[in-house]
Amino acid sequence: MIEVCQLTKVYGDKRGVDNISFMVKEGEIVGFLGPNGAGKTTTMNIITGYLSATSGQAKVAGIDVLEDPIAAKRHIGYLPEHPPLYLDMKVSEYLDFVYELKGASMPNRRRHISEICELVGIEQVYGRVIKNLSKGYRQRVGLAQALIGNPDVLILDEPTVGLDPRQIVEIRNVIKELGRKRTVILSTHILPEVEAICERVLVINRGKIIADDAPQNLAANVAGEHKLALRVAGPKNSVISVIRGIDGVRAVTPLADREKGASDLLVESLPAIDIRKPMFNALAKAGYPILMMRPQDMSLEDIFISLTEEGAAQTESKGA
Amino acid sequence: MLAVLKRDLRGYFTSPLGYVFIAAFLVVVNTMFYMNNIMGAISDISGVFAFMQFILIFTVPLLTMRLFSEEFKQKTDQLLLTSPTSVFQIVLGKFLAALAMFTVAMLFTLLYLVIIAAFGQPNIKQVLANYIAIYCVAAAFLSIGLFLSSITENQLISAVLTMAVFLALYIIDYSGIGQYNAVLANFLYAISMFRRYSNIGRGVLAVSDLLYYISVAAIFLFLTTRVIEKKRWS
Repeated sequence: MIEVCQLTKVYGDKRGVDNISFMVKEGEIVGFLGPNGAGKTTTMNIITGYLSATSGQAKVAGIDVLEDPIAAKRHIGYLPEHPPLYLDMKVSEYLDFVYELKGASMPNRRRHISEICELVGIEQVYGRVIKNLSKGYRQRVGLAQALIGNPDVLILDEPTVGLDPRQIVEIRNVIKELGRKRTVILSTHILPEVEAICERVLVINRGKIIADDAPQNLAANVAGEHKLALRVAGPKNSVISVIRGIDGVRAVTPLADREKGASDLLVESLPAIDIRKPMFNALAKAGYPILMMRPQDMSLEDIFISLTEEGAAQTESKGA
Repeated sequence: MLAVLKRDLRGYFTSPLGYVFIAAFLVVVNTMFYMNNIMGAISDISGVFAFMQFILIFTVPLLTMRLFSEEFKQKTDQLLLTSPTSVFQIVLGKFLAALAMFTVAMLFTLLYLVIIAAFGQPNIKQVLANYIAIYCVAAAFLSIGLFLSSITENQLISAVLTMAVFLALYIIDYSGIGQYNAVLANFLYAISMFRRYSNIGRGVLAVSDLLYYISVAAIFLFLTTRVIEKKRWS
């Protein structure tokens, strides 16, 4: 649905986007992840035709955005980083304007707009002037704008910025719901967001893609091993010695104890081996019941830091 | 294009700008009509219309200053430029919105005809010529203003620049620069915005004069389109 091929954008002597290529299939929800200034917004602006690339090409629904911008833009709903709202208009007037601007032709315009309002939760402010709306509502009106005309590609630049935690959950659900029938690209620097919504993540740093995978795989690849947090009723030293005796255990690290008479431990195992059953049996035999066992996947946070550090180290060594 | 036209026209009325424009324009032009036609007891409105051109120096920037600069500032240009509408249609929509706003003010001047008709006989051909001419002038001025609003995201700068350009054109026309040099004089007359209008005041509605104003309008609409398109490449 979206094809980006060797895209480069140069600002003065700085490379905002550096030779990026990727593809997004129909119906996929892809997250752009990266620190501020990594090139997420620039890439989105190029796909939507707001900026032109210095070199390379971007295609939406098979149409080159430079060759036939109007046809390509018909497929796209775009929520920029800063929602493009006319502050002096009412929400209703604004959405009508966007409808006409996009030249949308829905069988029932009133119903189309009211369905969108219901979906993003802005019915209560429908008749109000945008100037008087809170940041959260403005963001939602921006999202509503992107949905008008039912575009099959949605490009959302930090869609949950400025929302309170409850709204964030709501909007994420809305995006997930939308992603069932549409292709969605969203950018964020909030990691749990990607984990919650996206099927695929592109990690971008300094204008380059440094990782492209499903959130779970990304964790598995970088982590390479499994960690279990364990709480066992029994004295720490004897518990540790029992666990050390199990095949596949690589390391046992004592953690701070949270419960009286129980020891908290972090157990690292080799990648290919599931040590949970043998560990249960061994501890049961020794008479130390397991109170809690929790897998500790590396969070995207850790992955992100390790990836961007690697990237930074590489570019620095190249420069030197 | 229609969507942009409608939005911008409505924008004039949701802010004080449209009202200020109408008020400023009409206060001066009506006073002029009173002094010229009513006190002078003449039925020819050419004098008032010629003076209107001078008033446009100060009132056109009110209409054009924010057309693009405000879009850039509020980042709403992202909506316009990522919508399936060509840049020229957006430019044209904005230009027509400003022209429509000018028309709203001009509707009030139809009262002059009513007043003149009550006391005498307005010369319909002459009146028509004056309206056609002032519309051509307004189109040229508005497109220059629109262009100057597309090069900055600050309304005030755009307004001051527009006024400065008009005043400069006015000074060139009436300062007597080039009166000792035939080539320069011809050149200055060729680009003259204001002196050219005096032909019309004398009752000569030449196609070449109208074409001049329309060409200026077309050129600046084109330049505006280019400026907006070029932004993508920066």
